[in-house]
Amino acid sequence: MKTVKEKTVLFLLAFSAAILLLAFVAITLFIGVRGLSAINFRMITTSIRKGGIFEPIIGTLYLLAGTIAIATPLGLATAIYLAEYAPKGKINRIIVQALNNLAGVPSIIFGLFGYAFFCRFLGLGISLLSGWLTLTCMTLPIIVRGSQEALKMVPKDFRIAAEALGTPKWKTIKDIVLPTATPGLATSIILGISRVAGETAAILFTCSVVLTKSLPTSPLHPVMVLTYHLYTLLVASPGTSMDRAFAIALILLGLVILLNLLAYLIRMRYRRRWKW
Amino acid sequence: MEVVGVKPKIEVKNLNVWYGANHVLKDISMKIPEKRVTAIIGPSGCGKSTFLMTLNRLIDLVNGARVKGKILLDGKNIYNPGIDLTKLRKKVGMVFQKPNPLPKSIYENIAYGPKVHGVKDRKTLDSIVEKCLRVVGLWDDVKDRLQDSAFELSVGQQQRLCIARALAVKPEVLLMDEPCSALDPTTTRKIEELIQTLKNNYTVVVVTHNMQQANRISNYTAFLYLGRLIEYGPTQEIFTKPKNKLTKDYINGKFG
Amino acid sequence: MRLKHPKFLCFKDKAGSFSFILASISIIILFLIIVFVLNEGIPAFIELGFSNFLFGHRWSPYYGDFGAFPLLYGSILIVLGSLAISVPLGVFTAIFLAEYSPRWLSNILKPVIELLAAIPSIIYGFFGFMFLAPKIMEFLDVSMGKVALTASIILSMMTVPTIVSISSEVIASVPKEYRKASLALGATKWQTIKSMVLPAAKPGVIASLLLAFGRAIGETVAVLMVCGCVPQIPSPPWNYLEPVHTLTAAIALDMGEVSWGSLHYHVLFGLGAILLVITFIVNMIADFFIKKAPRGVQI
Repeated sequence: MKTVKEKTVLFLLAFSAAILLLAFVAITLFIGVRGLSAINFRMITTSIRKGGIFEPIIGTLYLLAGTIAIATPLGLATAIYLAEYAPKGKINRIIVQALNNLAGVPSIIFGLFGYAFFCRFLGLGISLLSGWLTLTCMTLPIIVRGSQEALKMVPKDFRIAAEALGTPKWKTIKDIVLPTATPGLATSIILGISRVAGETAAILFTCSVVLTKSLPTSPLHPVMVLTYHLYTLLVASPGTSMDRAFAIALILLGLVILLNLLAYLIRMRYRRRWKW
Repeated sequence: MEVVGVKPKIEVKNLNVWYGANHVLKDISMKIPEKRVTAIIGPSGCGKSTFLMTLNRLIDLVNGARVKGKILLDGKNIYNPGIDLTKLRKKVGMVFQKPNPLPKSIYENIAYGPKVHGVKDRKTLDSIVEKCLRVVGLWDDVKDRLQDSAFELSVGQQQRLCIARALAVKPEVLLMDEPCSALDPTTTRKIEELIQTLKNNYTVVVVTHNMQQANRISNYTAFLYLGRLIEYGPTQEIFTKPKNKLTKDYINGKFG
Repeated sequence: MRLKHPKFLCFKDKAGSFSFILASISIIILFLIIVFVLNEGIPAFIELGFSNFLFGHRWSPYYGDFGAFPLLYGSILIVLGSLAISVPLGVFTAIFLAEYSPRWLSNILKPVIELLAAIPSIIYGFFGFMFLAPKIMEFLDVSMGKVALTASIILSMMTVPTIVSISSEVIASVPKEYRKASLALGATKWQTIKSMVLPAAKPGVIASLLLAFGRAIGETVAVLMVCGCVPQIPSPPWNYLEPVHTLTAAIALDMGEVSWGSLHYHVLFGLGAILLVITFIVNMIADFFIKKAPRGVQI
């Protein structure tokens, strides 16, 4: 009978969805439960030499700050160019194609490239700067894509009204388009941050090391980061320092979840307001 | 309002429909006769399409729609909880205002309905496809390109395809929602002729905003205004001796 | 006499030219990546011989054996394994989201799936290493938990979101008119989905599967931590309960220990070149299918 079939199908489909939910809950609980019991203020503020995780935290923050500082203007400018100055035409398609290809490049390849080009060819060595530049290359497609979307959603009428009043194009963009697109732009930057914070493969041999003498004082120093530190803890000394491992995992997972939820909420809230 | 002398295929009893808080159809009762063409006329927004959708329960798909009342098809209320919707919609077919061929080949468009209802034999499907395309006058045009996409047909041909598709499941009732409004006059004439031939075998209910068309093709006409059935009777009477003033005004073009 | 600029360079203001220069950096970056990876990788192909490198069966870098075949095999084995899980799971969930799920449930499922996509690979690796591998060892009674199966499961968790998000969008964008027509003919909801919606959505769904493949094959850290890193072809070849090694894991593991300019160094770049070629091809094919998909799909 048809209704039985319909019900079976529905059950199967819902079951699949449930498995995904379960997977998410499993990871979150596994890390959250032990991570929360392991982490404490002292661990965060103590140097790794004394069993804490202070340097990797700072290192990650340095890495994030620099990458975003470089990638955001670059990404925004690219998105503005694509959305405002040349929305159609051959150049646009080539750039978009290049970005799509970049988005598909595995992160380990960025690591190889970063090493060969920034560390060796440009002589920057294994340093914070190499890391910034490598990660910028990796994050660029994310920021551009999100920003492009945000800019496209600004209604044409706003631009037409401004231009009819004689506003030069760059001013229209600066005073009207950008402020209107800000939620979407913010979302794309947040997602870029999230990607960088969790990245391991691209920094493996471009900027990150197992142990540094001290916190980096210049961009030409190597740095310790949370992701790579977690890796070394697990692989180099399994069994010991599990508390620290769980703590780092919790920080990373928590950070990523918070950032992505934030981006999601911004999108949802402004999606309603965007129905001009 | 009654239509005397012909067996009713569909009996509508006190039909009320709400879209949310909006009372769209108000207490409609009528008997739709078998193997005749019944036209539903009225100004835009008066509920004609909604009425049509209640007859095959496509209204169930509309979010927030509420239906009260009875609609008897061959004596059975189609709003009974136990009703098999797939059987209902096999019996009561629909042609939409804008031609909506499925994204498949011409052949597959027509074969889709029968397949869904269990016809598997290739030869049977072939003969159904040919028969239906002949009925709508498309067979000669498309017999050599049955595997082409349905979208390669002109709008008029697509609408005829949709009619053929509806006929392929062997319905008893055919609902047509302004079937010619997207078509040019020549194609419109062709389809109007088609409808005339269809009434020999099917009960046809046509919604139209074109009064001349209603006059030309239908045996009975119902005039809906603001969700109410104002007048219903043989087409001749409605158009030459309307009993209700509103009907008179509408027919004389005073509004709508 | 005034010089004529090519049309696309004729900007009304300086900001336009400036942003054009910045925008073209993307093209430059891609170009540089291809050049540098190939440049450092080609010496390996030359010195070892193309087929020796690609099809060689022994990967023991410290003994001078650079046969990449076990790595290639391992990569493809775990990726196919992950697709075997993620494709049905992903497509079914996508259908559920697009056609059946009530709004309150969609509002939970959608963010969860986005989050699954955003979780860093090191976290997945951590989860696989600390939780999944021991469980597999326990429940399947094998001597080690870091095997191809574990890697496939972890990869499927990471790539399912790609399939779900693209497929559900594509399915939802199949026009309502088609559904109405199908239902009016007496088809049930599932018949409509199976015979009409899914065939119409096929190009987009296939694109999502290809993209999932591309992401899985390029995944490094998570795989590194759970695949076992043993460069072998399992016996029998479809035995998922044995450890394997992959292109990505090999690069990540060895890169920290090679000396610059050595054969081993170039070989690693050669592996990278292979990976790059595979990824580009897969993405190109996916692109082709995306273009055939109903409008409004974002990757």
